[in-house]
Amino acid sequence: MSYLFDPGNWEWLITGNNARFILEGFLINLEIAVIAMVFALVVGLALALLRLSRNPVVSFVAGIWVDVFRNLPLIFLILYMALALPISWRDAWEENVPGWAPEAYRSGFVFAALVALVLYNSAVIAEIMRAGILSLPRGQSEAARALGLSYRQSMRHVILPQGLRRMVPATVSQLITLNKDTTLVSIIAITEVMRRGRIVTSSNFFAAVEAPVLHVFVFIGLLFVLVNYALSRLSRRLEVGQRRRVGTEMKEVKGVEDQLLSAEPA
Amino acid sequence: MTGFALISFLEEHFDAYASGFWVTVRLVAVSFAIAMAVGTFMAALRVAPVVWLQRLGAVYVETFRNVPLLVLLFISFAGLRRAGVDINAWVAGTASLGLYTGAYVAEALRSGVFSVGKGQIEASLSLGLTYRETLRHVVLPQAFRTVISPLGSLTIAMIKNSAIIGVSLLALGDLLKQARIVSSRTFQTDEAFFWAAVGYLLLTVAATLLVRGLERRFAIRR
Repeated sequence: MSYLFDPGNWEWLITGNNARFILEGFLINLEIAVIAMVFALVVGLALALLRLSRNPVVSFVAGIWVDVFRNLPLIFLILYMALALPISWRDAWEENVPGWAPEAYRSGFVFAALVALVLYNSAVIAEIMRAGILSLPRGQSEAARALGLSYRQSMRHVILPQGLRRMVPATVSQLITLNKDTTLVSIIAITEVMRRGRIVTSSNFFAAVEAPVLHVFVFIGLLFVLVNYALSRLSRRLEVGQRRRVGTEMKEVKGVEDQLLSAEPA
Repeated sequence: MTGFALISFLEEHFDAYASGFWVTVRLVAVSFAIAMAVGTFMAALRVAPVVWLQRLGAVYVETFRNVPLLVLLFISFAGLRRAGVDINAWVAGTASLGLYTGAYVAEALRSGVFSVGKGQIEASLSLGLTYRETLRHVVLPQAFRTVISPLGSLTIAMIKNSAIIGVSLLALGDLLKQARIVSSRTFQTDEAFFWAAVGYLLLTVAATLLVRGLERRFAIRR
């Protein structure tokens, strides 16, 4: 404990630009998480609709796709994409990254990481959306059809607006998981916060001040706790508001760790 | 890549995959035991009748739930080693995964406890049962049922997260690690990763079926 709280061991934080270096890396993690989430929402919606399709072949294939990708470890997908994506694709990314983008994005591996993150998270999101849509009472779609709306119209104007609103809290929860998962891209050599942490601990630019591994990663961990705690408060507030409005709970989605559990006694 | 080539590829490297699979299974089993123990303890703190114990439980849950598993692995292995603690890869890996998942287990158990109506707890307390007896005979048996399904979800998440242990800095030859070794030796990335995927899907599907069976077994028949 005295080792952890010894001010001498924290001196690296105010020396040089170490703190700034790490914070910038952390920002890259948040950016990757947001970008991946945006794409995962779009792809996830498409997958959810395919899975709910009335064509049994389409819904079966979409079901297999979703189940496979959300049951594989994300790190597996990241590593596989880094090794298996055609090099020409990575080159295309490297050539087309805009000049103003931070240096960490220049690597073609960022593209591989984004593909893996979107593959995994879109499958999870698709399952969350499907649960949200299925949690609507049957009467809603039956009434829409009875009023003469086509399948498409009833989806668009009746089912989706309600179903998607129900999945907002679960999506924020998934964003927390995604936020933590972005640290995994450090394994394929993207200089986000974990890599930068290792750089800070291994380089001796300021020979007088040593940055102990333990302290650097405790600091990084605290950054994540701070941001994710704020997000989880947000999602809890959204969920409580939600339940007050519609009076039902989201259906549970299997295999998702950041499941919103009804914390407050009703 | 034909089916036959895939199968002969597996035959050729079966030992590597089998040993990796076994390491993954053991990692998950040990971490699960740790997560259940820690989770139960923390859930008990969170529903304890003493405010500062509740706070302590809450701080634990919010910290370990919001920190990336990879950061925990770095702290527990490289960090502690540099600090002079002689910790081995197995202890660091299973402790990280166990403590991390323990926070989720605590939340699942707590919400299970709260799913038992307040009236029942008040009734049993007013019947003269102590806090302990109420927990043991009234709350927990009912909470168990509601908790099966979220615990199943966590087990599946744990199987997936166990891959992070082998891949990060720890020298553990789990399934994904073995697949990477095979892939770098043969340059047949697709085949090497295909069989690792099959291994992970076997585990997650088995866990899903097990949970479904348990749910059916303990469901209330009406």
